[in-house]
Formats: sequence, structure tokens, C-alpha cells
Amino acid sequence: MGLFSTLEISGSALAAERARAEIVAANMANAETTRTPQGGPFRRKMAVFSGAGAAGFRLLLAGYSRLAGRGAGTVRLTNVVEDTTPAVMRYEPGHPDADPSGFVAYPNVNPIQEMVDLMGAVRAYQLNASAVTASKQMIQQSLDILK
Amino acid sequence: MSSTPLLQMVEGFLGVVSSRHKLITANLANIDTPGYRTQDIDFRSELQRVVSTEPGSAPLTPVAHAVPGLLQRPDGNDVNLDRESLLLAETQMQYQLGVQVVRSEFHRLLSAINEGK
Repeated sequence: MGLFSTLEISGSALAAERARAEIVAANMANAETTRTPQGGPFRRKMAVFSGAGAAGFRLLLAGYSRLAGRGAGTVRLTNVVEDTTPAVMRYEPGHPDADPSGFVAYPNVNPIQEMVDLMGAVRAYQLNASAVTASKQMIQQSLDILK
Repeated sequence: MSSTPLLQMVEGFLGVVSSRHKLITANLANIDTPGYRTQDIDFRSELQRVVSTEPGSAPLTPVAHAVPGLLQRPDGNDVNLDRESLLLAETQMQYQLGVQVVRSEFHRLLSAINEGK
């Protein structure tokens, strides 16, 4: 059914944006982490989104076409990649993780960049939440015909 | 199968409005998807197509197309937040209009059944 699948679409975006906010939170929490299980400092993580409805414009409207699979138009978090920019080197000779020349490799996390990313994720989340409200109202109006 | 021509027409209208609503939600969901292009339907031609088809024939598949002339971000995404929120409000109102027409039509039928009482 047309209107109910819009809830699925908005829901997928809510999940993806929430995951993105979680990744940003992990980046900020590990902004000073110099030790990781893989060795070396923490590396900044980035979320990669991809749309499920990219193939075939005509088939995008799954509600009318049996050919289009479920989930057309949805978005999902397909990959979490590491930022490849080099680690920030700080001169701290007394630090246990310092290299022979006294430099410590700190994560390539820029708190300002993370805050901006977090704001973007929160705004996109709010936006999709208001789309859910709109869909809900439309469904409710349809149900009110029966009254 | 709708009982009156008006109901049949409004049914088509509501169908087009809800497909458009679905596309707008998909656009909003993909606001951070790199390379995503804003999708929309041509409301006028879709509505004409739906209204002019004979009743009982197979439901039509609305044709969605990429919207030209939108400002593209460096990642290839061209979803415009203001455009989509405005259209979201617009489709909501249009849907409400359609539903109100259906309700009033049913009330009219009911009043005929009740012999105008």
C-alpha cells in the first residue's frame, strides 16, 4: 500500500541518520585515543549512505508496480570507512606512546568537523521525523472516512 | 469500483497525491545519499492520465523523473530541503482536500439512503 510504504522509507532514513550520529559520537569520544586493538591511534570513521531505489525511475513506485521490490526509495548505511588523512603529531616526550623523537600520534579527529556533522545528522533526523508525522496524519485522515 | 463518477475521480486524485507524497518522502530520506537526484512526477499529466482511463482497467504506474534545474552539491546530490518541505505540506493539504470530498460524497449518499432525513 502506497502510504504505509512511506513510513518504511522515512524509517530507513531515521535509522541511517541515527547510525551516522552514533559514528560521530564514537569519533568525538575517541578524539584523544592513542591506543587501539589494531595498533596506533584511533582513526576517524565516516558513514557511507546509499539509496535502494536508484535503479529505474519508473519502478520507484512500488505501491503500483509488482515489478519493483520492497524498499524502493529507502536509504541505508552500507559502509563505514576510515578517514585516510594522517594522524596529528604532537610533541609529548613523556607520553608512553611517544615515538623515539618524542612525537605522539593523535587521532585525525577534528571536533568542529564532528559537531557540524552531528548537526547535519540531527537536522536530517528531524526532517524525516516530520515526514513520518505527515504520513501518519494522511493515514489517519483516510481512516476517518470510516467514521 | 467506485459508486459515483465523483468518487472515482477523487480516488484517482488521492492515488496521484499519495504517489507524490511517497516520492517526497524518498527524497527526504536520501538527503545525505551521494549522487541521489530529486525525483518527482508531473502532477497535471498524471492526474489527466488517471482520470481519463476507463474504470476497472489495470492501475497505472506513475512515471517518476529526475527534477531538472536543481542546485547540485559537490557529492552529486541535489535534494533541496525547502522544496521538499513545501511540497510535503502541499501534498498533505491536497490529500486532506480529497478525503474531505470523499466524506462529503458519502454523507450525500447517506442522506439519499435516509430519504433526506
